[in-house]
Amino acid sequence: MTNLDPTEQIVLVTQGLRKSYGRVQALRGVDLEVRRGEIFGFLGPNGAGKTTTIRCLLDLIRPDGGTARVLGIDPQADPVAVQARSGYLPGELRLNDNLTAERQLRFFSDMRGGATDWEVVRRLAQRLELHLGRPIKNLSKGNKQKVGVVQALMHRPELLMLDEPTSGLDPLMQQEVLKLIREARAGGATVFFSSHIMSEVQAVADRVAMIRQGEIVQVAETSELIRRALRQTTVRFQVPVDSSALAAVPGVSLLRSDDGTSVTLQVEGDMDLLIKALGAFPVRDLETSRPSLEEVFLAYYKTS
Amino acid sequence: MLTTLRYTLSSLRGQILGWGLGVAALGLILVPFYDVFMGQQADFMQMIESYPPEFLAFFGGDAASLATTEGYLSMYGFSMLPVIVGIFAVIAGSGLLASDEESGRLDLIVAHPVSRAGLFWGRILAFVSASLGILILGWLGFSALLGGSSLGVTWWQMALPFLPLLAQTLIYGALALLLSMLLPARRLAAAGAGVVLVASYFLSSMAGLNEGLASVARFLPYDYFQGGEALNGLEWTSFLGLLVASAVLALLAWWRFRRRDIRIAGEGGWRLPSLPFRRRSRIPHKA
Repeated sequence: MTNLDPTEQIVLVTQGLRKSYGRVQALRGVDLEVRRGEIFGFLGPNGAGKTTTIRCLLDLIRPDGGTARVLGIDPQADPVAVQARSGYLPGELRLNDNLTAERQLRFFSDMRGGATDWEVVRRLAQRLELHLGRPIKNLSKGNKQKVGVVQALMHRPELLMLDEPTSGLDPLMQQEVLKLIREARAGGATVFFSSHIMSEVQAVADRVAMIRQGEIVQVAETSELIRRALRQTTVRFQVPVDSSALAAVPGVSLLRSDDGTSVTLQVEGDMDLLIKALGAFPVRDLETSRPSLEEVFLAYYKTS
Repeated sequence: MLTTLRYTLSSLRGQILGWGLGVAALGLILVPFYDVFMGQQADFMQMIESYPPEFLAFFGGDAASLATTEGYLSMYGFSMLPVIVGIFAVIAGSGLLASDEESGRLDLIVAHPVSRAGLFWGRILAFVSASLGILILGWLGFSALLGGSSLGVTWWQMALPFLPLLAQTLIYGALALLLSMLLPARRLAAAGAGVVLVASYFLSSMAGLNEGLASVARFLPYDYFQGGEALNGLEWTSFLGLLVASAVLALLAWWRFRRRDIRIAGEGGWRLPSLPFRRRSRIPHKA
């Protein structure tokens, strides 16, 4: 990977991507950059523009403005080249009810020239506990989703674009799909997936982008985003103290003080300065809670 | 494109068999019935002469022409076949892409490495092949019992009226496809093409009785349908003209499909507005 040209390190890039549906502006200038070999989580509430972005990248819909490059290719100029090297799982998966799961997968394989390794398909189906011989119409929503996951992965694409990949799956299968995503990355694939389930993004994504009302509000490494976020710290003292000095520490604000024996603080960024300041106090106990990605996400969307 | 053709044709196989065997059955009844008709010609002619001319016009002839092979086949068979096969064309044409699009399946299909051109023309080719399949089955039904009939028509002669019928099928299919690319719902496209199909049949049939209608009818496909007359030789201008018109409609549909966004299930749909006197919900409001 280090031998690659810097531009080849970027698998997916959009600049000022805009898309409107009538009066509704779905995308208002989306700027994204996804690096080769990473798992990139695309977070946002329903209707934020996640699906619209992915569909623009596959030339299923045409943006009104801005540019996009996927695997170095303009998807509008050569969509087939992009689609040949990508695997896609739509957010609203609809299959042909009249076919069995296997016939449906053979159809998708034939649409790719029929070069699928059926041993891979069988292995994927086995791991997801999917019975290939069953008609689609008899499958539950979760089992249909498994067919979608298999079709996205079965040709071992360079780039996976997954729109809510664990939608409709039970927790065990959600874990299995996340495992498959990690394995795909380990095999050299880049994964770009949208979700509004924070725990799964936190579990697998190297970096995340948050989208709100068609605009990217934050792009960061998942761990950095959590680290940078506000955390709540409760300090209990052996004797009542004047804790006003703690509120003067940069990045710290006082949320609550109980008779001087206990304070609850909000800390932004590193804890270093606060811990040094606490050295002057008779501390009995210190409790700090690191926010989950969900709390970070909620903080973004509540404050903005 | 070949994969698309193969799978689309496979999905149309039920329709090919259903419509094809239906047309064939008509031929299997009609051809041997000719001898019965000729045996009781005097009674039949008396009955037919008692029909109002407006009624006979719908069946593409008059009492005098009915005594001929072409007139008989037109009146009892070919006059109605463009409408019958046209229904298939309207259903299949309007659903060729819009059916998968409205159900949300087209999104994932187009995300596969098949160009929009490959997908569009593959499906068009499947529609043309399905139409040909139906008409070949129909032709076989019309020809199977020719040997024992006094119609005096050979197998190859019997194939000739099926060529204008193919042109009729293609133009209604192409029209329905174009409308499905322009209108927000498949059923709206099918309704629009269906109106043209029925209006074309009625206006062209009545044009023989009312000259005022003839000027309107010449803009409609049925006016160029040769029917049983084709047994004596094909009118190439009408036949090729309809084929060219079908190709133009298909090209317009392609031009539209190439540029448009692929909708996902339920997106951009269309439905009739609610009626003003619709009953309100009876769910009680919480206090």
